[in-house]
Amino acid sequence: MATSIARFSRRGVASTLIRRWFAAEAALAMQTEPPKPKLTVSPSPSLDRVKWDYRGQRQIIPLGQWLPKVAVDAYVAPNAVLAGQVTVWDGSSVWNGAVLRGDLNKITLGFCSNVQERCVVHAAWSSPTGLPAETLIDRYVTVGAYSLLRSCTIEPECIIGQHSILMEGSLVETRSILEAGSVVPPGRRIPSGELWGGNPARFIRTLTNEETLEIPKLAVAINHLSGDYFSEFLPYSTVYLEVEKFKKSLGIAV
Amino acid sequence: MVMGRALYSVGFWIRETGQALDRLGCRLQGKNHFREQLSRHRTLMNVFDKSPSVDKQAFVAPSASLIGNVHVGPASSIWYGCVLRGDANSISVGAGTNIQDNTLVHVAKSNLSGKVLPTLIGDNVTIGHSAVLHGCTVEDEAYIGASATVLDGAHVEKQAMVESGALVRQNTRIPSGEVWGGNPARFLRKVTEEEKAFFSSSAVDYSNLAQVHAVENTKNLDETDFKKLLYKKNSRDAEYDSVLSDLSLSENVPKSA
Repeated sequence: MATSIARFSRRGVASTLIRRWFAAEAALAMQTEPPKPKLTVSPSPSLDRVKWDYRGQRQIIPLGQWLPKVAVDAYVAPNAVLAGQVTVWDGSSVWNGAVLRGDLNKITLGFCSNVQERCVVHAAWSSPTGLPAETLIDRYVTVGAYSLLRSCTIEPECIIGQHSILMEGSLVETRSILEAGSVVPPGRRIPSGELWGGNPARFIRTLTNEETLEIPKLAVAINHLSGDYFSEFLPYSTVYLEVEKFKKSLGIAV
Repeated sequence: MVMGRALYSVGFWIRETGQALDRLGCRLQGKNHFREQLSRHRTLMNVFDKSPSVDKQAFVAPSASLIGNVHVGPASSIWYGCVLRGDANSISVGAGTNIQDNTLVHVAKSNLSGKVLPTLIGDNVTIGHSAVLHGCTVEDEAYIGASATVLDGAHVEKQAMVESGALVRQNTRIPSGEVWGGNPARFLRKVTEEEKAFFSSSAVDYSNLAQVHAVENTKNLDETDFKKLLYKKNSRDAEYDSVLSDLSLSENVPKSA
């Protein structure tokens, strides 16, 4: 997906005025009966652990006083998990299986950026550089699939290759590209306009001007793609119909 | 009273109309329409007679998958998106261990050398994000860095550390108190004393953090709605604040090459 996109057609992205919550949550607003026993966890003495919860995993998990904030036209895949202090700004997308865990510190995903499939974005409590350890992904950044971002700062218009690992305190400066599989050790800085890669990440070459101009185009292309996915989902899910049918078949009052 | 009933009926008519419109819309969409199904994701899944046994005090994220012969000890945490697949052999996770987001723990049924090994993970082990553990043994208080891959037959001894992004090849033995890294993994340096302390404190911190996530994930609809109401009024949650202050979080990040 990352490099073979050639679709630059302009799409009018119809922005919904309604915030989208995770499907079952909104759908269950209709239910009056509390659902069957769910996963119960320590410390209270509890029943046998439940193996299956028909609600699945919630997409947005508030922790303490923090609620993940998703912009109205941002696409967050249903099996992505946003927990804690996460802000997903306009036009960005979080793809399938990604985990953005802002429980210890803040995570920000800037305008028109994307976090692709199966990424883990986490923020540590403190960073070795002493600077605030929040994870900041600025605008027009493409984070490739299966990456791991931990308390790093990614400046505008970068491409992070697939399966790359960015450790605490690393800084990827604007308009640079990290090759796939690169590992950036803690506290390292990738200078502006360069291509780095490898484990640990080493300088490969500088980027030509044409390549630098392609970076935001890639982010915009993925934005257009996420628009398609976004429009696949209704503002509120119709799962509640299935839930009602299910409960009826089990003889639970709806 | 009459007004109440009237509004209730009107409400029902509107809902019925809405549902009918929904069905109409589905028909207009023709064969491309999609009807959502209940989530069939099974957090704890058994394969015939092998079923996971998870301690009551462990946190297992709903999006994790524990399949087959998996045993998880108390105060451990299995985070979001993990897959612990104990179908071919057994996986046992000790107490106070945390298996962070998106890791894969698998056991080998057969490998090139012919030995079939269960995966044993000891107590207070920290397994970083996106790691892949395949048929290996990890002893107590070890630290597997983020995105590391530990292959069949590898043995990570007590308080050893596998660097982020490392690939530990088959049957490698990582002696106690050493840091190994790179691809293929080789000896880098010894673990410093403060790093050893960090390993145990990080395990404890993660257990505490897991409790907060556990509580949040097991809320039912009423509680989550109430929470949303709280957000609108911008109130603070004393529960989470107290957990945060309990965490003795001074993360010493191990320096690497």
